[in-house]
Amino acid sequence: MSSLSASNLIPHNRGEVAVSIQNLNVVYKTTLEKRPTLKNRLMLFSAGKKQTRIVNAVENLNLEISYGSVLGVVGANGAGKSTLMRTISGILPPTKGRIEVHGSVSTLLALGVGFSQEMTGRDNVILGGLAAGLSRVEINAKFDEIVDFAELREVIDAPMRTYSSGMYARLAFAVAVTVEPDILIIDEALSTGDAHFKVKSLNRVKELRGHNRALILVSHALATIEEVCNEVIWLHKGALIQKGDPTTVVTAYKKFLEVGSSPMIDEDV
Amino acid sequence: MSAIDVFEPFHRGLPPFKKYAKQLLGRRAFISEFAKSELRRQNFGSPLGQVWLVLNPLLLSAVYFLLIIIISGHTNSGRYAHLTAGLFAFYLITNSITAGAKSVTAGGRLILNSAFPRIMLPIAASVVALFKFMPTLAVLFLLHLILGLPFTAALLWAIPLVLIFYIFALACAILFSCINVYFRDIQNLLPYLTRTLLYLSPVLYESSALTEKLNFLRVINPLYPMLDSWSRVMVKGELPFASDILQATIWSFALLVISSYLFLSREREFAVRI
Repeated sequence: MSSLSASNLIPHNRGEVAVSIQNLNVVYKTTLEKRPTLKNRLMLFSAGKKQTRIVNAVENLNLEISYGSVLGVVGANGAGKSTLMRTISGILPPTKGRIEVHGSVSTLLALGVGFSQEMTGRDNVILGGLAAGLSRVEINAKFDEIVDFAELREVIDAPMRTYSSGMYARLAFAVAVTVEPDILIIDEALSTGDAHFKVKSLNRVKELRGHNRALILVSHALATIEEVCNEVIWLHKGALIQKGDPTTVVTAYKKFLEVGSSPMIDEDV
Repeated sequence: MSAIDVFEPFHRGLPPFKKYAKQLLGRRAFISEFAKSELRRQNFGSPLGQVWLVLNPLLLSAVYFLLIIIISGHTNSGRYAHLTAGLFAFYLITNSITAGAKSVTAGGRLILNSAFPRIMLPIAASVVALFKFMPTLAVLFLLHLILGLPFTAALLWAIPLVLIFYIFALACAILFSCINVYFRDIQNLLPYLTRTLLYLSPVLYESSALTEKLNFLRVINPLYPMLDSWSRVMVKGELPFASDILQATIWSFALLVISSYLFLSREREFAVRI
């Protein structure tokens, strides 16, 4: 399930600082195996082979995100986009530097759909909300709105393993936006779901922008980035390459990719 | 003015304790809701599911009792009560270990997408094990009546003993949930570990049957003083030995401190290891 944290419904002024990132570095150690096991570890150890690698996911990043704006984040795979989003959300602590988050955050990260596939959609919504710090009363108050927005009332009591990927995405998106967060982080999640829901979700993003919320949108759909964002950053191997208005940064990024205006990159949400 | 969250590097690899404890306390509702959802998922919300909850260890104790009759020829009712009480308590520990071991890896999606104290997950798993254990106390009460076992004031020791059992079960859940993130095949070893613990503990036999040569089991097996005290209280209606209670308490709290430290110092990595 997407993450959510309690919305305080405090009005924000356009330009007020929502997120301040100062000299951020994120380094972590990960295994070379997809599913680490004791057996493999012992075999690799006896063979004298390397078992872990150090990832410098984000390097010396300084950034400010303001209320009333939508920040687009572009970059190739492995650029550190998802790590940055997780660090802003408090999921992954910084290795160096500091992040100040002025308000409640709701995240919709690409992999983060569902707490347990065996549990029902209802249980997942409730557990996801409670884990993120919402009270049961707050979840109950928003529950019907979430289910209606996701258009999943008929299957909300079915185990989530019976959901299609589009249904997963709809429920996750509905939770993230219905709680009216101060800051909403969306990582590649707008590209899922059917055409009808894509339009609906994009409209919701624009609506939140109009309400002076702060949004961070990570996407490979560059046309959407250009359409929705006020400012775009381009990350590459953890470093900030460029920051500026969407057209300038997207054009530079496209040039870097050497694919120009190909339909693949311009594919809309 | 909105609340400000500040994220900085962990000091000595540990999250800020006060903030962490506050967040954990603020999410108490998650733990009870998770336990209820998990029990519903396992069909223990239904009457038949609840019957199975007590029937399973009861049948197991009947099978072991049959084995004991065949091997030793003893048929006294106290032996059956000892076996049943011991198995019920032992199941609290093993259920907590098994569910705890997969609690973090199973909650992977939530971990990747949401900021919350990760230790909530093994705590919730151990609470599920405790919820499963509670109905067995009613069965033990009935067994007490049926077998005519003594009702004494010593039975009140069952309360602190359950607490000690739970602390130990929680510590095990935290420890194995953390180990399982790094070694996913640890779950395959758990049946062997729990079976060995069963044979080293006074469940299938009474502690009086232990020869002097095997007395070291009292010291090296944390479950030994717990289960021996449990049997003395629940079956014989006698007071537990103070040394056993002290030893069990030290084992449980020491393991809780060690496993919590290990978990907290590692949980930063969970989001990139899952």
